[in-house]
Amino acid sequence: MNTTDLVFQFLGTAVVASPALLVAILGFFALIGLPLSEGSISRLTQASVLFSLLPAVAILVMMLALGIRYVPIELGDWVTIPEQEFHFRLKFVFDRLSIPFLILSCVLCGVVGAFTRRYLHREVGYGRFFLYYAMFFTGMVTSSLAGTIETLFVGWEMVGLSSALLVAYFDQRESPVRSGQRVWSIYRLSDAAFLVAAISIHHLTGEGDFGGLMSSGIWPAGTAAVTSQQALFVGTLLLIAAAGKSALFPFSGWLPRAMEGPTPSSAIFYGALSVHLGAYLLLRVSPLLDVSMTLRVMVIALGVVSAACGSLMSRVQHDVKVSLAYASLTQVGIIVVEIGLGLKYLALIHIIGHACMRTMQLLRAPTLLRDYQTMENALGTRLPAGKSRIGSLMPAALERWCYRFGFDRGFMDIALDQWIVRPFVSIFERFDSWERGTTDWMSHEASRESDAAELHPESTGRAA
Amino acid sequence: MRDGSTGALESHENSIACESDSRSLEKLKHAIDHATDYLPSQGPISIFVHHNTLHPFEDLPFEEAVIVGGSLYDCQPYLPEARYRGALQRGRITIDDVRSVLMKDLGEDADDLIASFGTRYTLRLAMMQMPPHAAPDAELAWMLAESDLLKKFSEELPAQRREQLISQTRRWVMRYRATSQTDELPATADGVLRDLLRKFGDHNIESWTAAKWESFVLNLLWQFCHQGVEEAGLAATSDPTPLRHRDVLLSATGIDIDQPVNEVLIRFCGVFLDQGFAGLSLPHRHSGFAASFAELYLQPLSMMQSWMRPIRSELLQMADGNFDALSSIAQSLELLGVDASEQDEYVGQTLLALRGWAGMIWQMETSAPFFPTPAPKGSLQEYLAVRLMLERHALTDAGRRRFGTSDLREIQSRASSRSALSRRPTIEQRTFTVYQLAQSGGWSPENLVSMSQPQWRRLVSEVESFTAHDRRRIFHLAYEKKYRNQSLDAIISHGKRVALSASSGPAKKRPAYQAIFCIDDREESIRRHLEEVDPECETASAAGFFAVAMYYQGADHAHFRPLCPNVITPDHYVREEPLFSSVEDNEKRSRRRHRIGTLTHQVHSGSRTMIGGWITGVFGAVATFPMVARIMAPRLTSQIREAIGSLTRPPATELHLERINEKPGQDFDSLGYSLPEMAAIVTRILEDVGAVEQLPPIIVFFGHGSSSLNNPHESAYNCGACSGGRGGPNARAFAQMANDPRVRALVAQSGIHLSDEVRFVGAYHNTCSDRVDYYDLDLLPRPHRSLFRRIEASIDEARARNAHERARRFESAPLDLSPAAALEHVEQRSEDLSQARPEYNHATCAMVIVGRREWSRGLYLDRRSFLTSYDPSIDDETATILARILAAAIPVCAGISLEYYFSTVDNEGYGCGSKLPHNIASMLGVMTGAASDLRPGLSQQMVEIHEPMRILFVIETTPEKMQLIIDSNATIARLVLGNWVQLAIFNAESCSMHLYEDGCFEPYIPVSDQLPTAPSSIDWYRGQRDHLGFATIATENFAAAHVGTFENGDLR
Repeated sequence: MNTTDLVFQFLGTAVVASPALLVAILGFFALIGLPLSEGSISRLTQASVLFSLLPAVAILVMMLALGIRYVPIELGDWVTIPEQEFHFRLKFVFDRLSIPFLILSCVLCGVVGAFTRRYLHREVGYGRFFLYYAMFFTGMVTSSLAGTIETLFVGWEMVGLSSALLVAYFDQRESPVRSGQRVWSIYRLSDAAFLVAAISIHHLTGEGDFGGLMSSGIWPAGTAAVTSQQALFVGTLLLIAAAGKSALFPFSGWLPRAMEGPTPSSAIFYGALSVHLGAYLLLRVSPLLDVSMTLRVMVIALGVVSAACGSLMSRVQHDVKVSLAYASLTQVGIIVVEIGLGLKYLALIHIIGHACMRTMQLLRAPTLLRDYQTMENALGTRLPAGKSRIGSLMPAALERWCYRFGFDRGFMDIALDQWIVRPFVSIFERFDSWERGTTDWMSHEASRESDAAELHPESTGRAA
Repeated sequence: MRDGSTGALESHENSIACESDSRSLEKLKHAIDHATDYLPSQGPISIFVHHNTLHPFEDLPFEEAVIVGGSLYDCQPYLPEARYRGALQRGRITIDDVRSVLMKDLGEDADDLIASFGTRYTLRLAMMQMPPHAAPDAELAWMLAESDLLKKFSEELPAQRREQLISQTRRWVMRYRATSQTDELPATADGVLRDLLRKFGDHNIESWTAAKWESFVLNLLWQFCHQGVEEAGLAATSDPTPLRHRDVLLSATGIDIDQPVNEVLIRFCGVFLDQGFAGLSLPHRHSGFAASFAELYLQPLSMMQSWMRPIRSELLQMADGNFDALSSIAQSLELLGVDASEQDEYVGQTLLALRGWAGMIWQMETSAPFFPTPAPKGSLQEYLAVRLMLERHALTDAGRRRFGTSDLREIQSRASSRSALSRRPTIEQRTFTVYQLAQSGGWSPENLVSMSQPQWRRLVSEVESFTAHDRRRIFHLAYEKKYRNQSLDAIISHGKRVALSASSGPAKKRPAYQAIFCIDDREESIRRHLEEVDPECETASAAGFFAVAMYYQGADHAHFRPLCPNVITPDHYVREEPLFSSVEDNEKRSRRRHRIGTLTHQVHSGSRTMIGGWITGVFGAVATFPMVARIMAPRLTSQIREAIGSLTRPPATELHLERINEKPGQDFDSLGYSLPEMAAIVTRILEDVGAVEQLPPIIVFFGHGSSSLNNPHESAYNCGACSGGRGGPNARAFAQMANDPRVRALVAQSGIHLSDEVRFVGAYHNTCSDRVDYYDLDLLPRPHRSLFRRIEASIDEARARNAHERARRFESAPLDLSPAAALEHVEQRSEDLSQARPEYNHATCAMVIVGRREWSRGLYLDRRSFLTSYDPSIDDETATILARILAAAIPVCAGISLEYYFSTVDNEGYGCGSKLPHNIASMLGVMTGAASDLRPGLSQQMVEIHEPMRILFVIETTPEKMQLIIDSNATIARLVLGNWVQLAIFNAESCSMHLYEDGCFEPYIPVSDQLPTAPSSIDWYRGQRDHLGFATIATENFAAAHVGTFENGDLR
């Protein structure tokens, strides 16, 4: 191993270790019940972001200077099952896709961290917020750099968990907790698809390495080493995973609910980074699209539908945060279309630009009234109503229907509730009643003590 | 109670049609109108006006209103008991005050004997000092079985009392055990005692350890309490059954039907009221709430939640154009089985279920002439009709799922029979209360066992009649009393010092200049600092619109905006215009502004669309630089922005103040005031502030406002006397009027002679960044300019010190800042996107001083007092000037203080909760998170340092004159007689106070005459974060005038 490799190894490890260390420190002090002061939490956070960002930039500079386009960092096999040809390898990859996304994550996390430092001042949950934040940051770094599908899954899960916990940050009220659970359940659904895809990749290629899947070439030049059918199968699963994570059709229902947390968390997680993670995954496995035309068409179709729904839903909303959330969705949809069309660099640029802009917009969402006033003053009149170019071509009846569609958020939540949740719940309620019947019959009396239990004051809204 | 016919929808229609009972509809309409009084009256958030949150209850006395209003809105009347208890521990409340308040509260009943071991007063005092905890049965069972409840005395109990109780009981038990007579005790008690002895093993009772005795005594105590409570046999009180079906169902089953109903309604109210945020507006909005709702939900090819599906037929009726909201409401009420007698309350409670939105509909329907899309008439009725319809269907759905029936009455009766089962104070719970009191009161088992059944009955009901609310009320009164005593004492002591120094010092001479501020509590400190910096100046104050009630449009403003208290509807319109010579320059700049505005608007709205979003998205990385800059270095970024902004700002301007036409209006020639009107304004203000003779060469009027970023409540930080606007233009207009020689000639007729030497200057003070701007300086005559430079320098020093004093309250500002650094700190705060507390606004307000500045000058008031100038010596016998000052000051200051009070005592209920998840909805208000009710009131970040108290007015006048004012002004009478404000009358000559209590003025006897002194304000507050006490600030001249009067000169 020559010096360059050593330096790369060192810098690469620093990039990954720094956020992990932050989680460990914040988590440890929270665990032993010795809360850190606001000042030390924010200093630690800033240091961690910096120690992730600077090595990343250094790697970028070195790669540009040396003309290297691919730097793998291996942190060993953690699990090997030779009989099954399974090994869990922690592998990180620096290439033209991961570095921009990594730097984006670091910059946005850093900015939002600095913002939150003052925004959450004197808040009881200050430490809790930054712990979730650290977990999210670690997840983002891990998933951007992931070189194997297992590593990606680790990061993916951390992002998912911290997002759901942040949605439910205000746990004293009911609706954030409800929304957090909703987000979490959609995430689990997409995780399941992801996991099946991961296992299939192992079966197909004998390893979880994206390199194996792509056989040769460095992003974006790789070609898939699987057949068209296999690519379609794995690709579809990954598409479902991406759709859940990026709130694409038909999972868009969780996106507005994610606006329950404090403003900065909404900004970074749902406006900027988290929603792009699905698109990033698609970019990562984009060579699969070259193999399967069907998959390509599916990706494009999903993108188009999501973008159209998003833009409709965004235009109907009356509140700023939800409107911005759906506006994000529109762009993510377009990004997915770009990926489907094979415009990989454009998609990457689009992700970066869009994430930055949306973060800024969401961070300053509470200043909307003032912004509108400033604009009105500059124009000297009331603001002109936003006219949609497509809208003016539509017949009035269709326009009204579109309004209804956007108003009810594409009926997606209703459909999920009705066609997935309801049958699920009613099946288990049926089981429950069978069980009750059986036990009652066996004990010749009412066998459930819990039936007679008084409701907890909290569930009847009478908690003091 | 819920009779009336049942049956299908059609039959009801017929029956209602047949009756055609227009009288009952009229009654229903009246009920709705009545219910609207109780909706939040906060209008759109961009015009935030502080007002009493419990305004509809102002006819009741305060103490009653907080209970009645609290139960209606399900909110707390006072701070939580623990907070008061904490205050008691750190000395913010003294136990002596608690004692005297309690004594006064009980009046003649204080000495009534309760049981055999104490009076009502001692019992209540014991309950105040050691409040009995309440625990539900399950918790109690656990505590009895698992905790030390019956093993160890409460730790709060002093050891001595514990020992005493144990040894006393021990002696009694030993004696009782030795005597074999059993008639000394009732049979049951005897049985209990013997059982317990056996259980504890009385064969070796002499070798019992101390711990065992302790446990034995406690067990005995518990058993006897239990027995007594059981004997007392008081009926269990239970909460009244709630009226709304939703509440009954919720308490019975935990199903909240408001949740699905509100989800639909929040979304719909939002788009219905939207003031132009959404790109697409609601189709058919103009045809009303119900029609557009029906139209929307009747769209073909759409899905509805399953519980909503049956509403289709009713929607069809709504959409057909002849929908009558009132009869629909009547029909719903009948289907729900609501009696005519319950109708009013049911309607009221239903409207309150989503009160923020309902209130906003009402506001937009009745008082929003300046908004682009006000709500059509009748919207609230239609809202109620739609709501009741949805509630019915949600109920039916819940009933079908839970009870297997869709009959509303059946559901209601099933639910109420279930909910009645829950919640009743059981014998165990009562025992627990008495048991705790017995410990803290030192009631021995011996005492308890000798109590008769009526005595027990008396004791238990007595204990239960002194509820947690009562305890909090007593604490609250003590909390207020402490501050009131401190402030009245301070004013008296300081007044005496002032009187002494005036009698010994030189005669009052003409000040070098005068600075007139708003009465706002935030201006107290800058006035004090200015007087410290330049002792030759004088400050005074008047309500910050300076009697210039106008609609004002700045040169770069799109619309007119009212700048006057919201109780006044202005007749006059004033516009800021570029100077005649710079009209062309202004054109150029306004074109630039227009271009930039168009671009930002396109980016802003375009970024949310598909194509526009794509363009902004791809080039969005550019946004990173300003974003990072703004967050990392807000102050620097704002300076750069300002430098760039100067290219587009209007050039030199003037006010279009003089009217040509007869009638005021919005036309060019109708703008402004006539000369007599101006003269009236000038006379009024000069009289109000007492500036009628010996006027200095320059008098500066400071209007005020506040600017902050990322703050939907920004308008609440502005001048309250300008309807949440910025008061600079009022000061400017006033100065321009008062400088006009023609106006002066008219003013002279009323006896105020303004010599040519006297000049007025208008200025604007930003209370957030502590920046000060002056208007129309070019018009200042040359001889005045050096004096103006001196004023400017003093103001600059004063505002830095003011920033310094403010910074002590901000935890994120280090305590060792220098004044210059503090100024930078507050400038940064006002430009910081991530700052949730740009300033603390009125959070420290506690008092209003009305009177001459002389006797409050040099008194450190800690930014806690509004200061209103008033000179009784120029007022007439009937106190005309005072009456007109108070007519504005009392309602406005009371409104501010009461809004702070209620938002503090129940921040989630009355206030708007934490600012962090706020989300601007429909450009009208804020929701919490993605979808919630609109939240009126103040946020947690605004009130976190507030001490909730009713505001204390200290007015320099006589009780007789004050009585006259109370008698002649209904609003003042309501607030004063109902104890919504505290009132004290100050006599400056004798330095004595009268306190208004129970409807009459009682002489106030000072508690202490110790008032510390400090050489300067900074010396007094340096290093302190919390609320500070009073002190005399002895500036050099002041101190020199009466050396030796400050014998108690130690700090604090």
